Amino acid sequence: MIDPFKKMLVYLDGSEDSVSAAMAAIALAKRLDATLTAIYVVNTRALKDLVKARIFLDSEELEYRRDIEGDAKRYLRHVQELGAQKGVEVIPVKTSGTVHTEVRNYLQENHIDLLVLGGISEIHSRRDELLSETDRMMRTAPCPVLVVRDNDAIWEMFETLPNVKPEAAHDTY
Amino acid sequence: MTLTDVLEKDLVKVPLQATTKSAIIEELVDILVRSRHKYNRDDILAAVLAREALGSTGLSDGVAVPHAKTSAVDAIEVVMGITPTPIDFDAQDGKGSQFFFLVLAPEKESGAYIEVLVSIARATVSPVMRRLLASARSADEVLRLFID
Repeated sequence: MIDPFKKMLVYLDGSEDSVSAAMAAIALAKRLDATLTAIYVVNTRALKDLVKARIFLDSEELEYRRDIEGDAKRYLRHVQELGAQKGVEVIPVKTSGTVHTEVRNYLQENHIDLLVLGGISEIHSRRDELLSETDRMMRTAPCPVLVVRDNDAIWEMFETLPNVKPEAAHDTY
Repeated sequence: MTLTDVLEKDLVKVPLQATTKSAIIEELVDILVRSRHKYNRDDILAAVLAREALGSTGLSDGVAVPHAKTSAVDAIEVVMGITPTPIDFDAQDGKGSQFFFLVLAPEKESGAYIEVLVSIARATVSPVMRRLLASARSADEVLRLFID
Protein backbone atom coordinates (compact mmCIF):
# COMPACT_ATOMS: atom_id res chain seq x y z
CA MET A 1 0.00 0.00 0.00
CA ILE A 2 1.26 3.46 -0.84
CA ASP A 3 1.50 5.83 2.13
CA PRO A 4 -1.14 8.49 1.68
CA PHE A 5 0.99 11.43 2.78
CA LYS A 6 4.69 11.90 2.06
CA LYS A 7 5.15 15.65 2.32
CA MET A 8 3.47 17.38 5.24
CA LEU A 9 3.29 21.03 6.27
CA VAL A 10 2.29 22.29 9.71
CA TYR A 11 1.34 25.91 10.22
CA LEU A 12 2.63 27.67 13.33
CA ASP A 13 1.32 30.96 14.66
CA GLY A 14 2.70 31.01 18.18
CA SER A 15 -0.47 29.69 19.76
CA GLU A 16 -0.64 26.64 21.98
CA ASP A 17 -3.01 25.06 19.48
CA SER A 18 -0.48 25.40 16.70
CA VAL A 19 2.19 23.72 18.84
CA SER A 20 -0.26 20.87 19.48
CA ALA A 21 -0.79 20.64 15.74
CA ALA A 22 2.97 20.39 15.31
CA MET A 23 3.13 17.56 17.85
CA ALA A 24 0.41 15.68 15.98
CA ALA A 25 2.24 16.32 12.73
CA ILE A 26 5.49 14.97 14.19
CA ALA A 27 3.75 11.80 15.36
CA LEU A 28 2.09 11.33 11.99
CA ALA A 29 5.27 12.05 10.03
CA LYS A 30 7.12 9.48 12.09
CA ARG A 31 4.44 6.87 11.52
CA LEU A 32 4.23 7.57 7.77
CA ASP A 33 7.92 8.26 7.29
CA ALA A 34 6.90 11.54 5.70
CA THR A 35 8.91 14.75 5.48
CA LEU A 36 7.64 17.52 7.73
CA THR A 37 7.99 21.24 7.23
CA ALA A 38 6.87 23.84 9.76
CA ILE A 39 5.94 27.27 8.41
CA TYR A 40 5.57 30.54 10.30
CA VAL A 41 4.26 33.50 8.35
CA VAL A 42 5.10 36.95 9.69
CA ASN A 43 1.83 38.72 8.97
CA THR A 44 3.21 41.85 7.32
CA ARG A 45 -0.14 42.41 5.62
CA ALA A 46 -1.75 42.99 9.02
CA LEU A 47 1.06 45.34 10.03
CA LYS A 48 0.65 47.33 6.82
CA ASP A 49 -3.12 47.47 7.39
CA LEU A 50 -2.55 48.93 10.84
CA VAL A 51 -0.18 51.59 9.51
CA LYS A 52 -2.62 52.37 6.71
CA ALA A 53 -5.44 52.73 9.26
CA ARG A 54 -3.00 54.90 11.26
CA ILE A 55 -3.45 52.76 14.34
CA PHE A 56 0.29 52.08 14.22
CA LEU A 57 3.05 54.58 13.76
CA ASP A 58 5.88 53.56 11.44
CA SER A 59 8.07 52.98 14.49
CA GLU A 60 5.47 50.62 15.94
CA GLU A 61 5.34 48.62 12.72
CA LEU A 62 9.10 48.08 12.93
CA GLU A 63 8.96 47.21 16.62
CA TYR A 64 6.17 44.66 16.21
CA ARG A 65 7.71 43.19 13.11
CA ARG A 66 10.88 42.55 15.11
CA ASP A 67 8.80 40.98 17.89
CA ILE A 68 7.01 38.64 15.52
CA GLU A 69 10.22 37.72 13.70
CA GLY A 70 11.58 36.75 17.11
CA ASP A 71 8.45 34.72 17.85
CA ALA A 72 8.80 32.95 14.52
CA LYS A 73 12.38 31.91 15.24
CA ARG A 74 11.53 30.82 18.76
CA TYR A 75 8.53 28.68 17.78
CA LEU A 76 10.23 27.14 14.76
CA ARG A 77 13.21 26.19 16.91
CA HIS A 78 10.88 24.74 19.55
CA VAL A 79 9.11 22.55 17.02
CA GLN A 80 12.44 21.46 15.54
CA GLU A 81 13.47 20.39 19.03
CA LEU A 82 10.19 18.51 19.55
CA GLY A 83 10.80 16.70 16.28
CA ALA A 84 14.39 15.91 17.23
CA GLN A 85 13.16 14.32 20.48
CA LYS A 86 11.19 11.83 18.42
CA GLY A 87 13.68 11.36 15.60
CA VAL A 88 11.74 13.46 13.08
CA GLU A 89 13.52 16.19 11.17
CA VAL A 90 11.36 19.30 11.00
CA ILE A 91 12.30 21.68 8.22
CA PRO A 92 11.71 25.27 9.37
CA VAL A 93 10.37 27.88 6.98
CA LYS A 94 9.89 31.52 7.92
CA THR A 95 8.20 33.76 5.43
CA SER A 96 6.20 36.98 5.43
CA GLY A 97 3.14 38.42 3.76
CA THR A 98 -0.53 37.54 3.86
CA VAL A 99 -0.83 34.35 5.87
CA HIS A 100 -3.24 32.26 3.83
CA THR A 101 -1.64 33.33 0.55
CA GLU A 102 1.86 32.44 1.70
CA VAL A 103 0.71 29.06 2.97
CA ARG A 104 -1.24 28.27 -0.20
CA ASN A 105 1.74 29.23 -2.36
CA TYR A 106 4.08 27.06 -0.32
CA LEU A 107 1.70 24.10 -0.57
CA GLN A 108 1.49 24.46 -4.33
CA GLU A 109 5.13 25.15 -5.05
CA ASN A 110 6.39 22.30 -2.89
CA HIS A 111 3.72 19.73 -3.78
CA ILE A 112 2.74 19.27 -0.14
CA ASP A 113 0.10 16.57 0.25
CA LEU A 114 -1.14 17.29 3.81
CA LEU A 115 -1.60 20.58 5.68
CA VAL A 116 -1.86 20.30 9.47
CA LEU A 117 -3.57 23.14 11.34
CA GLY A 118 -4.42 23.90 14.93
CA GLY A 119 -5.99 27.07 16.26
CA ILE A 120 -9.48 26.65 14.95
CA SER A 121 -11.26 28.82 17.47
CA GLU A 122 -14.92 29.35 18.04
CA ILE A 123 -16.43 31.63 15.44
CA HIS A 124 -18.45 34.40 17.12
CA SER A 125 -19.59 36.21 14.02
CA ARG A 126 -19.80 35.95 10.27
CA ARG A 127 -17.14 38.65 10.11
CA ASP A 128 -14.75 36.47 12.13
CA GLU A 129 -15.35 33.61 9.77
CA LEU A 130 -14.62 35.73 6.74
CA LEU A 131 -11.46 37.19 8.24
CA SER A 132 -10.00 34.16 10.00
CA GLU A 133 -6.69 33.25 8.42
CA THR A 134 -7.09 29.66 9.58
CA ASP A 135 -10.47 29.38 7.89
CA ARG A 136 -9.05 30.86 4.74
CA MET A 137 -6.14 28.43 4.79
CA MET A 138 -8.58 25.53 5.12
CA ARG A 139 -10.71 26.80 2.26
CA THR A 140 -7.87 27.60 -0.12
CA ALA A 141 -5.50 24.70 0.50
CA PRO A 142 -5.02 22.60 -2.65
CA CYS A 143 -4.44 19.46 -0.55
CA PRO A 144 -6.13 17.60 2.32
CA VAL A 145 -6.17 19.48 5.64
CA LEU A 146 -5.91 17.91 9.09
CA VAL A 147 -7.38 20.05 11.88
CA VAL A 148 -6.03 19.20 15.31
CA ARG A 149 -8.52 19.93 18.08
CA ASP A 150 -7.94 17.79 21.15
CA ASN A 151 -4.83 19.06 22.89
CA ASP A 152 -4.78 16.54 25.75
CA ALA A 153 -5.04 13.55 23.45
CA ILE A 154 -2.33 14.96 21.22
CA TRP A 155 0.03 15.55 24.13
CA GLU A 156 -0.56 11.99 25.30
CA MET A 157 0.03 10.60 21.82
CA PHE A 158 3.24 12.62 21.51
CA GLU A 159 4.53 11.63 24.91
CA THR A 160 4.03 7.93 24.20
CA LEU A 161 6.28 8.09 21.16
CA PRO A 162 9.74 6.83 22.09
CA ASN A 163 12.41 9.50 22.49
CA VAL A 164 15.64 9.41 20.55
CA LYS A 165 18.87 11.17 21.41
CA PRO A 166 18.16 14.87 20.82
CA GLU A 167 20.23 16.88 18.38
CA ALA A 168 20.62 20.62 18.48
CA ALA A 169 18.27 22.48 16.19
CA HIS A 170 19.79 24.72 13.59
CA ASP A 171 18.38 27.89 12.10
CA THR A 172 18.19 27.00 8.44
CA TYR A 173 15.34 29.22 7.31
CA MET B 1 -7.68 36.09 17.79
CA THR B 2 -10.33 38.69 17.05
CA LEU B 3 -12.14 41.44 18.91
CA THR B 4 -15.03 39.13 19.75
CA ASP B 5 -12.64 36.69 21.45
CA VAL B 6 -11.71 39.28 24.06
CA LEU B 7 -14.58 41.76 24.31
CA GLU B 8 -16.70 41.18 27.41
CA LYS B 9 -19.93 42.81 28.55
CA ASP B 10 -18.29 44.19 31.71
CA LEU B 11 -15.70 45.91 29.54
CA VAL B 12 -18.18 47.77 27.35
CA LYS B 13 -19.68 51.05 28.52
CA VAL B 14 -22.45 52.95 26.79
CA PRO B 15 -22.49 55.86 27.25
CA LEU B 16 -19.11 56.99 28.47
CA GLN B 17 -19.38 59.96 30.84
CA ALA B 18 -16.12 61.75 30.08
CA THR B 19 -15.98 64.65 27.68
CA THR B 20 -12.26 65.24 27.19
CA LYS B 21 -9.50 63.11 25.70
CA SER B 22 -7.59 62.55 28.92
CA ALA B 23 -10.79 61.84 30.86
CA ILE B 24 -11.92 59.31 28.24
CA ILE B 25 -8.64 57.42 28.56
CA GLU B 26 -8.92 57.44 32.33
CA GLU B 27 -12.53 56.25 32.21
CA LEU B 28 -11.61 53.34 29.94
CA VAL B 29 -8.72 52.36 32.20
CA ASP B 30 -10.99 52.60 35.24
CA ILE B 31 -13.52 50.24 33.61
CA LEU B 32 -10.76 47.68 33.12
CA VAL B 33 -9.33 48.02 36.62
CA ARG B 34 -12.78 47.72 38.22
CA SER B 35 -13.26 44.44 36.39
CA ARG B 36 -9.70 43.14 36.84
CA HIS B 37 -8.63 44.01 40.35
CA LYS B 38 -5.16 42.55 39.84
CA TYR B 39 -4.10 45.39 37.54
CA ASN B 40 -2.45 48.61 38.61
CA ARG B 41 -4.35 51.63 37.29
CA ASP B 42 -1.39 54.02 37.28
CA ASP B 43 0.90 51.64 35.40
CA ILE B 44 -1.69 51.06 32.70
CA LEU B 45 -2.53 54.73 32.42
CA ALA B 46 1.16 55.63 32.11
CA ALA B 47 1.64 53.10 29.28
CA VAL B 48 -1.37 54.37 27.34
CA LEU B 49 -0.41 58.02 27.78
CA ALA B 50 3.18 57.28 26.77
CA ARG B 51 1.97 55.78 23.50
CA GLU B 52 -0.48 58.64 23.01
CA ALA B 53 2.38 61.10 23.39
CA LEU B 54 4.02 59.63 20.27
CA GLY B 55 0.96 60.39 18.16
CA SER B 56 -2.76 60.50 18.63
CA THR B 57 -4.67 57.26 18.31
CA GLY B 58 -7.73 59.20 17.24
CA LEU B 59 -8.25 57.81 13.76
CA SER B 60 -10.90 58.91 11.33
CA ASP B 61 -14.68 58.57 11.18
CA GLY B 62 -15.13 58.84 14.92
CA VAL B 63 -12.97 55.86 15.89
CA ALA B 64 -10.15 56.02 18.42
CA VAL B 65 -7.94 53.14 19.47
CA PRO B 66 -5.74 54.11 22.41
CA HIS B 67 -3.40 51.18 22.88
CA ALA B 68 -0.21 50.03 24.53
CA LYS B 69 1.97 47.01 24.97
CA THR B 70 2.75 46.83 28.65
CA SER B 71 3.81 44.45 31.38
CA ALA B 72 1.00 45.96 33.47
CA VAL B 73 -1.40 43.41 31.95
CA ASP B 74 -1.00 39.65 31.68
CA ALA B 75 -3.46 39.06 28.85
CA ILE B 76 -4.85 40.96 25.91
CA GLU B 77 -7.54 43.31 27.17
CA VAL B 78 -10.04 45.41 25.25
CA VAL B 79 -12.36 48.02 26.74
CA MET B 80 -14.94 49.63 24.47
CA GLY B 81 -16.96 52.75 25.08
CA ILE B 82 -19.19 55.08 23.13
CA THR B 83 -19.84 58.74 23.90
CA PRO B 84 -23.27 60.26 23.20
CA THR B 85 -21.65 62.91 21.01
CA PRO B 86 -18.23 63.13 19.36
CA ILE B 87 -15.44 64.59 21.49
CA ASP B 88 -12.09 66.10 20.52
CA PHE B 89 -9.49 63.28 20.56
CA ASP B 90 -6.95 64.91 18.20
CA ALA B 91 -8.24 62.67 15.44
CA GLN B 92 -6.36 62.54 12.16
CA ASP B 93 -9.36 63.78 10.17
CA GLY B 94 -9.91 66.68 12.56
CA LYS B 95 -13.37 65.43 13.47
CA GLY B 96 -14.64 64.34 16.86
CA SER B 97 -14.33 60.77 18.12
CA GLN B 98 -17.21 58.74 19.48
CA PHE B 99 -16.15 55.06 19.44
CA PHE B 100 -13.27 54.19 21.74
CA PHE B 101 -11.36 50.93 21.94
CA LEU B 102 -8.69 50.67 24.61
CA VAL B 103 -6.40 47.77 23.65
CA LEU B 104 -3.66 46.49 25.94
CA ALA B 105 -1.30 43.59 25.46
CA PRO B 106 1.45 41.99 27.51
CA GLU B 107 4.98 42.24 26.14
CA LYS B 108 5.05 38.80 24.53
CA GLU B 109 1.74 38.67 22.71
CA SER B 110 2.49 40.83 19.70
CA GLY B 111 0.92 38.43 17.20
CA ALA B 112 -2.46 38.23 18.91
CA TYR B 113 -2.35 41.96 19.71
CA ILE B 114 -1.97 42.78 16.03
CA GLU B 115 -4.81 40.43 15.14
CA VAL B 116 -7.15 42.17 17.60
CA LEU B 117 -6.19 45.63 16.33
CA VAL B 118 -6.76 44.53 12.73
CA SER B 119 -10.11 43.08 13.76
CA ILE B 120 -11.15 46.45 15.25
CA ALA B 121 -9.97 48.33 12.17
CA ARG B 122 -11.94 46.04 9.87
CA ALA B 123 -15.08 46.02 12.02
CA THR B 124 -15.28 49.81 12.21
CA VAL B 125 -14.47 50.60 8.60
CA SER B 126 -18.12 50.14 7.66
CA PRO B 127 -20.26 53.31 7.87
CA VAL B 128 -23.28 51.10 8.55
CA MET B 129 -21.53 49.49 11.52
CA ARG B 130 -20.59 52.89 12.90
CA ARG B 131 -24.17 54.13 12.57
CA LEU B 132 -25.42 51.04 14.38
CA LEU B 133 -22.82 51.51 17.12
CA ALA B 134 -23.85 55.15 17.51
CA SER B 135 -27.44 54.07 18.05
CA ALA B 136 -26.55 51.36 20.57
CA ARG B 137 -27.88 52.06 24.05
CA SER B 138 -26.32 49.26 26.10
CA ALA B 139 -23.33 46.95 26.32
CA ASP B 140 -25.54 44.06 25.22
CA GLU B 141 -26.52 45.90 22.06
CA VAL B 142 -22.87 46.64 21.27
CA LEU B 143 -21.85 43.03 21.79
CA ARG B 144 -24.69 41.84 19.57
CA LEU B 145 -23.50 44.15 16.78
CA PHE B 146 -20.02 42.67 16.84
CA ILE B 147 -21.24 39.09 17.16
CA ASP B 148 -24.05 39.28 14.62
